[in-house]
This record gives sequence, C-alpha cells and structure tokens, in this order.
Amino acid sequence: MSLAKRIIPCLDVDDGRVVKGVNFQDLRDVGDPADLATRYMREGADEVVFLDVSASKEDRSTTLDVVQTTAEQLFVPLTVGGGIRTVEDIHDTLRAGADKVSMNTAAVQRPELVTEGADRFGRQCIVVSVDAKRVGDGEWRCYTHGGSQATDLDAIEWCQELADRGAGEILLTSMDADGTLDGYDLKLTRRVVDAVDIPVIASGGAGTLDHLEEALVEADASAALAASIFHDGTYSVEETKRFLADQGVDVRQDT
Amino acid sequence: MSERPTVRLLDYGVGNIHSLTKALQRAGLDVELAPATDGAGEADGLVLPGVGAFGPAAQALAPVRDEIRDAVADGLPLLGVCLGMQLFAEGSVEGEGRGLGLVDGKVGPLDADRLPHIGWNTIEHARDPVEALDDRHVYYVHSYALPDNPHTVAETTYGQTFPAIVAFDNVIGAQFHPEKSSQAGRVVLDAYANLLEAYR
Repeated sequence: MSLAKRIIPCLDVDDGRVVKGVNFQDLRDVGDPADLATRYMREGADEVVFLDVSASKEDRSTTLDVVQTTAEQLFVPLTVGGGIRTVEDIHDTLRAGADKVSMNTAAVQRPELVTEGADRFGRQCIVVSVDAKRVGDGEWRCYTHGGSQATDLDAIEWCQELADRGAGEILLTSMDADGTLDGYDLKLTRRVVDAVDIPVIASGGAGTLDHLEEALVEADASAALAASIFHDGTYSVEETKRFLADQGVDVRQDT
Repeated sequence: MSERPTVRLLDYGVGNIHSLTKALQRAGLDVELAPATDGAGEADGLVLPGVGAFGPAAQALAPVRDEIRDAVADGLPLLGVCLGMQLFAEGSVEGEGRGLGLVDGKVGPLDADRLPHIGWNTIEHARDPVEALDDRHVYYVHSYALPDNPHTVAETTYGQTFPAIVAFDNVIGAQFHPEKSSQAGRVVLDAYANLLEAYR
C-alpha cells in the first residue's frame, strides 16, 4: 500500500450558493455548498474544492461564511480558490476553515505571494492553479482571470518556478479539454508531473471513468479533479472509486 | 457520570483550527481556544494543533514550555496533531527552537521524491490503543516526521517508514490529521477521549 490517488469534486460557488453554467454564462443555482460538500464526503471524496466565481467583493465575503459553515461539517480537506489576492486573503480564508487556498491570477501578477504564503502558513496549504492552453506541439501558455487573459508564460516553466517558489501543489487545468468531457490533456499533465517534485492535480475534460484512470495512471497525476460528471449525476464518487480500485488504482475506499 | 471534559486548544495564530475544534467536539469534548502563550491552563486536557511551521510554533511555546512539560509529567492528557506531534521532539531541522522533549531526537525531513506528502496513505503495524486503524487510509499533509522512537504505535511509509502515531502514558500524537481523515480519524480522537476519562 502507498499514497492513494485522490478524487476531488469541484464546486463553483457564487454569492453563497453552488452554481453551474455553460462557459460561465447563465449560472443556475444547484444547491447549498455545505450540503453538497458533505454529500460528496459521504460518498468517499478525498477532498473538496470550492471555486469562488463571485463577481463582487460582497459576494466573496458571503463565501467566507459558507466556508466556515462547511468546514464545521466536513471531515475531509477543503480547498478554496477564486479571488485570493493577498496574504491577508489567504489568512482570512484559512481562518474561516479552509485547509488550503488556491490562486492563479495573483500568483502570475506577483509571484512573491506564493513564497510569502508558504513561509507564513506552510507550503502545504498553498495550491497554485495553472490554466494552460495549447499553442503548438508540446507547448502550452498560461492564462489568467478565469481563462480570459493570455500571458507570455510557458506552462511547464511556470509550474517549475511555482514549485521553486514554495507552492505545495499545482492544480493544472487544460483549457482545451475543459468542458469537452473528452478526457484530460494527458500530454500536458504528464509533462508537468515529470517537471516538478510537488503533487499535481489534473483538471479539465473528465467525461468518463476511463478518463480519470488515464490521468492518474498514464499521466501519473496525484489527484483528479472533476465537476460535471459528479454534479450531473453521471457517476457517484463511490462508483468512481470502485471502478478505479477494480482497475488496480490505489484509492481510499473506506469512508 | 460527570459532564463533558474540556480541553484547551492552543492557537499559534495561523491556519485552520476550526476543523480540529469541531472534530474534538464531535468526539464528546468541550474545547476552549487559547493563545499559545497562555500555556497549559486549568482544562482537563491540552491539544497542540497541526498548522504552521516548527520554528514559529516553538517560539510561541517557548515561554510556557516548562509549564507544559510539568503539567504533562503530572498527568495532563496531551494530544498533538501533525506539527503538534512534532513539537513532542527535542527540536527539528525545519526550524529553530526547542520542542517539548517528550520524545528523544529531532524531527527530520522525509526521504521521498515528491514533497509535501499530501493525501491519503495507509496505516501499518497499528497496535494498542489504535489497532482499529490498521490498514486504513488517513490524511497526511507534511514534509517532516518524528524520528524512530519507542513510543510509536502505528507507522506509514512514504519514501521511508515513519511514526504515524505515538502513544505513551497520558500522551498521544498523530502525524496525520484526524480531523480531516473522515471516519478513520475518530479512532485517534476517541483514544484521546479515553485518556481524558482515565486521567480525570
């Protein structure tokens, strides 16, 4: 036995509610964050991620209340991302009950934030989210602001820099694969896994259970994050893990 | 039967202590939060939580280190989680400062290819009072671990085999996070609750 591969459902939170939309348009309310998070926990989720998609600062403070309510009932780790800009934001989010914070845009704009967060709170709670888009064969660029703004950063080099700066984990989303349900970008994932010595969470594109297995085995990601397949009820976390265990993947099965 | 025992949870000022508070309450304990500098206090037990780095935590505990040592020697039930358990050692290569010296030796870095060690790993060789954890997954987030020591009652392997749980007299500590380990975490918290009953 060894370190198990993790399955992580991701919930988009807006103004204190879990929302779902197509390409961030037409967000619709799908439930209470604490209820959904604890349901996934009971099904065997290894962690839960909240992505705060709130547009306003007021709505973000609502999210902190939601984090607190959720943390009181959730006995697996909770990562909160979206709108983290400063060391104070990290502090507030962790004090509200998050175990880790995830940041993207702020880390690109001021990479020192990664180091400052790691020094003060420990690197294990600093997750950096990298949104990567393919620009050629074996080449990917990073995007910020929820995938709307391109940068000059090469995704592989940026991930290496993040590991050097003290990031505890990389949450790697393929923008090409995201939303397609056609499977993770295995090439991208494998390249990053081989390039860094911190855990990599694969994200974007999960449509079937085979996709999860590919990300965890072929690309050797430490964890696979998925949203639609769980929210739409295509698969439960429980049957996902049973499937993976049957395929010989080391996953935690007792809940 | 008397009322619920109260434990004091020392807060070093960083990170998430909510989850551990809630998990202790769920295990039947009342929790009072106190700044680390307030020391052992008058509660029925003392809990050192698992967030932050060794240096700052040891520094925060320095003024009350001897008081805590004395209280534990007098039978105060002590629970250490993650960094809180690492503080049982004499020191750590992670940072300056003295630990409580309840366990001989220094905390050292894990010898593994990919760090931090984050995620669910398996408990091995579990024995009393945590034998129920044998072969179960628990949640780890750390890069350092206690040295081999005679108080180890469960182990885990990641690059190397290291102490997962230590237990002796009125002391218990876990390198993993019981408050984040779902049902499996209850085994450690219940063992601590039993200590509180035994040492009342």
